[in-house]
Amino acid sequence: MKDFLIIGAGITGAFIARELAKYDVDTVVIEKESDVGNHATLANSALVHSGHDPEANTLKAKLCVEGNAMYPDLAETLEFPLLKSGGLLLAGDDERKALMDKYRNALDNNVPSVRWFERAALLEREPGLASRVAAGLDLPTTMVTFPWEVAIAAMENAIDNGVAFHKNTEVTRIDQESEGFAVHTDRGVFRAEYVINAAGAFAERIAAMAEEEPPFRITPRRGEYMVLDRRNEGLIKHALYPVPSEKGKGVLITPQTHGEILLGPTNTAQESLEAVPTTKQGMERIKTGAGSLLEKIPYEETIRTFAGVRASSSHEDFYIQPSKADERFIHVGGIDSPGLTAAPAIAAYVVDTFIRPRRPLDSNPHFNPKRKTKPLYKTLDDVDKNARFKADGRYGRIICKCERITEGDVVDHIGRTLGATSVKGVKKRARAGSGLCQGGYCEGEIIKVLAREHGTSPLDIDYYEQGTPIFLKETKVKP
Amino acid sequence: MKHFDIAVIGGGAGGLAAAEKADRLGMDVVLLEREPFLGGILNQCIHHGFGLHHYKEELTGPEYAMRAIDDIERSGVTIKTDTTALDYKKLGGRFTIRYTNAEEGERTIEANAVILTSGSYERTAGGIRLPGERPKGVHTAGKAQRYLNIEGYMVGRKVFILGSGDIGLIMARRLTLEGAEVKGVAEIKPHPGGLTRNVVQCLHDFDIPLYLSHTVTDVRGDENLEGITIAEVDDAMQVKEATEKHFEVDTLLLSVGLIPDIATLGDVHYAIDPRTNGAIVDQTYQTTQDGLFAAGNALHIHDLVDFVTEESLRAALQAAAYVKGEVPPREKQVDVVTGETISYALPQRLNGDYLDKSVTFSLRSRHAYEKGTFLIKQRGETIERFKRRFINPAEMEHLVVEGGRIARGSGVEIILEGSS
Ligand SMILES: Cc1cc2nc3c(=O)[nH]c(=O)nc-3n(C[C@H](O)[C@H](O)[C@H](O)COP(=O)(O)OP(=O)(O)OC[C@H]3O[C@@H](n4cnc5c(N)ncnc54)[C@H](O)[C@@H]3O)c2cc1C
Ligand SMILES: Cc1cc2nc3c(=O)[nH]c(=O)nc-3n(C[C@H](O)[C@H](O)[C@H](O)COP(=O)(O)OP(=O)(O)OC[C@H]3O[C@@H](n4cnc5c(N)ncnc54)[C@H](O)[C@@H]3O)c2cc1C
Repeated sequence: MKDFLIIGAGITGAFIARELAKYDVDTVVIEKESDVGNHATLANSALVHSGHDPEANTLKAKLCVEGNAMYPDLAETLEFPLLKSGGLLLAGDDERKALMDKYRNALDNNVPSVRWFERAALLEREPGLASRVAAGLDLPTTMVTFPWEVAIAAMENAIDNGVAFHKNTEVTRIDQESEGFAVHTDRGVFRAEYVINAAGAFAERIAAMAEEEPPFRITPRRGEYMVLDRRNEGLIKHALYPVPSEKGKGVLITPQTHGEILLGPTNTAQESLEAVPTTKQGMERIKTGAGSLLEKIPYEETIRTFAGVRASSSHEDFYIQPSKADERFIHVGGIDSPGLTAAPAIAAYVVDTFIRPRRPLDSNPHFNPKRKTKPLYKTLDDVDKNARFKADGRYGRIICKCERITEGDVVDHIGRTLGATSVKGVKKRARAGSGLCQGGYCEGEIIKVLAREHGTSPLDIDYYEQGTPIFLKETKVKP
Repeated sequence: MKHFDIAVIGGGAGGLAAAEKADRLGMDVVLLEREPFLGGILNQCIHHGFGLHHYKEELTGPEYAMRAIDDIERSGVTIKTDTTALDYKKLGGRFTIRYTNAEEGERTIEANAVILTSGSYERTAGGIRLPGERPKGVHTAGKAQRYLNIEGYMVGRKVFILGSGDIGLIMARRLTLEGAEVKGVAEIKPHPGGLTRNVVQCLHDFDIPLYLSHTVTDVRGDENLEGITIAEVDDAMQVKEATEKHFEVDTLLLSVGLIPDIATLGDVHYAIDPRTNGAIVDQTYQTTQDGLFAAGNALHIHDLVDFVTEESLRAALQAAAYVKGEVPPREKQVDVVTGETISYALPQRLNGDYLDKSVTFSLRSRHAYEKGTFLIKQRGETIERFKRRFINPAEMEHLVVEGGRIARGSGVEIILEGSS
């Protein structure tokens, strides 16, 4: 019997797990995929929003501004990348009224240091802006992070502090019992006093397992992106936002923590909770949107397209409430944007508002907030490089030539607390395969290293989820 | 710091030829190759069809590579395999090159000249903004070829191939022979991208359909690839309605082009030609950076290895001349422009003080012609004409203009007058 069971290891579940790890309780996290952060947390704009956008007096507004303020410390404690880029919200002459509305909204939300800029001031900061841009808001607290690494970091830190984690385990049924809940999965039954539903786009399905009428409906909305490769680092310094319209928040241009430039997202309603196709129309829409912010964009340097599903809900605001059927079942639903930003604040809010008042929690005397990472070899100075190389020659061998990732780095990212088990797991952690050739050169080597480190055959190494091996059969019998 | 006259980066066909030639010309040469073995892409091209021009014999890729490797092993070239060149800088007229390997760690060497023969990488699904899902089962064709021919693993059972470049065509046959079902090859252009002989020997001979003017419009599958859709495109490359065909496949191979693999290397700046994605060079294969030379697929994509070898030999000859101080400084440049029926031509510039030496132009036609004439013009006057039969965008043409024919004063124009 566990004290807490969290369904879903996206960024929301991961931060709630870490929040609970601060207390002397037994927590388990159940995740259906092969890794942390394989859904919305993997496919978003990576922005730590300032909080200018959510409507005033909503949970979104409150938790976004709070989450934003938590990020700089978290980035140091958990050692994940954070780019303090600042953001500019840009408007054409015909959009001044909408811009003024956003300005007031930002002030109502207590967004720090917001300023109104006319074109000249904007150009001083971003000389390449499109000619239609007439005015804008300076949003200096806007930052960019490395979303799945944040989720992995929070989860790793939770695990290091005693939280149990079960991946490849799908919740299929939930029974209410006198002591709490029996949570059925495809890998057995887990019992816990409290259950927290952090299942992202699947949160309505999980809700339906706990109560007759789910209190919110998920209305999935797909967002497509284009990624320009690292050679474009410096194309822009700030995250560029258009003024939102009825159609949505529009296409953004965002500098990423590793130098790429992200263009997107689009906003398309769909039935599926997990379909993430990109489309020709989507790419055209991105071009139109991005072109209204920035004059020259080298689309031919696209290295990747992708899409993510927003877990938008009928409730519009985040739906963070105990179940009406049983207050020990807590819904954290409708976590669409700014969910990434808000996640650490959501975690504190859930525990402080819905758990601690009902169930006293003792603090965990052994809680260590810090997660230590081993920096990539290429980031070391010569002395440290030399020391590491002397200890292990594999740091001298490049595996991913585009991102300069060594065999030693890959081994490190397989061996860490939440180590990589798949090709994409390595890509998410070490960035091997994220560059110009997108793994064309290194994928085979990564499969071999994964197989060696996990003591299996290359035939058993998956691309991503279970049952997705790249090598189907051997063609040569080796002597 | 160790010093060399010439550092050659990449030990494929190009690097092997360049290094060995420079050594024979008395240069002190180092050759860096990141793979454990020399030969580059040739090692995975186990089909035959190599060497007809250069060795006057039909060889497989590995056999061709073996000849070059035997030569280099007898030479005085310092060879470092399993060694990745990380970057190079230019300081005081010399290059410092940083490399790394598991024996030495990161090291720096110095050279008077660098020859880039780092080959190419494959254009990716993202690069062509392939629509649809991104499940397991979408691979670039060269990568799948490497898995099959070097690593010994199959990646699929039911396969569709997008792009009719040579790698795609060769893989259609290779996978069929290995027991996979290849359901078709789609090519967005109205003509095949690869050599005619490969269309015949790899598709026709195996009854594999080739869908010209078709592209992939959807990729389906959640975790594993389940199927794709292709559709016909019009002259403007726009998809025509109601022309969709669906295929159930577990593998989609992309053979949609190679790109010179030079972008991740070096802090040295030089001009790039957007038509080739390689460096802009003059007749010595020198980039706009003095002392930096490029050849083979690192300069522009070749269909025949023989031409890689020959180009690299010419580049090495010039690099050696440069090191010896025999190449005059580039004070007077002559620009080379091409007519609209030519998709690109190299060199893009000529050193006006070096025109007593012959110039080899490498170029590709934009369209296929039964026959045609290439005209080299200066000041509107034809100074040289070359007649060719069966001109094809997939096949590179070479035009050699003897020394002294091109004058120093004005630009050169290359025109192709073709007829079908
Ligand atoms: C296009 C797009 C752009 C965005 N941009 C931003 C941005 O720039 N800034 C920002 O702050 N926010 C942004 N967001 C929002 C942010 O990405 C999400 O709010 C956040 O990632 C949600 O995290 P999550 O953990 O709630 O959901 P998810 O990451 O989706 O995680 C839910 C997890 O639950 C698991 N799960 C589901 N069902 C089960 C089950 N039955 N059993 C076990 N496990 C289950 C899933 O496998 C999944 O791993 C964006 C979102 C999208 C889609
Ligand atoms: C599938 C396929 C089929 C072909 N079929 C034929 C055919 O039938 N007949 C024919 O004549 N030609 C054919 N060709 C064309 C011909 O083989 C190639 O164009 C030629 O081999 C390319 O030689 P290269 O030296 O330019 O490049 P590569 O062979 O690619 O060599 C480049 C080398 O540089 C190394 N390298 C790159 N970066 C670094 C670095 N930073 N540090 C160290 N080393 C580095 C690479 O590892 C590689 O070994 C084919 C090509 C392909 C891909």
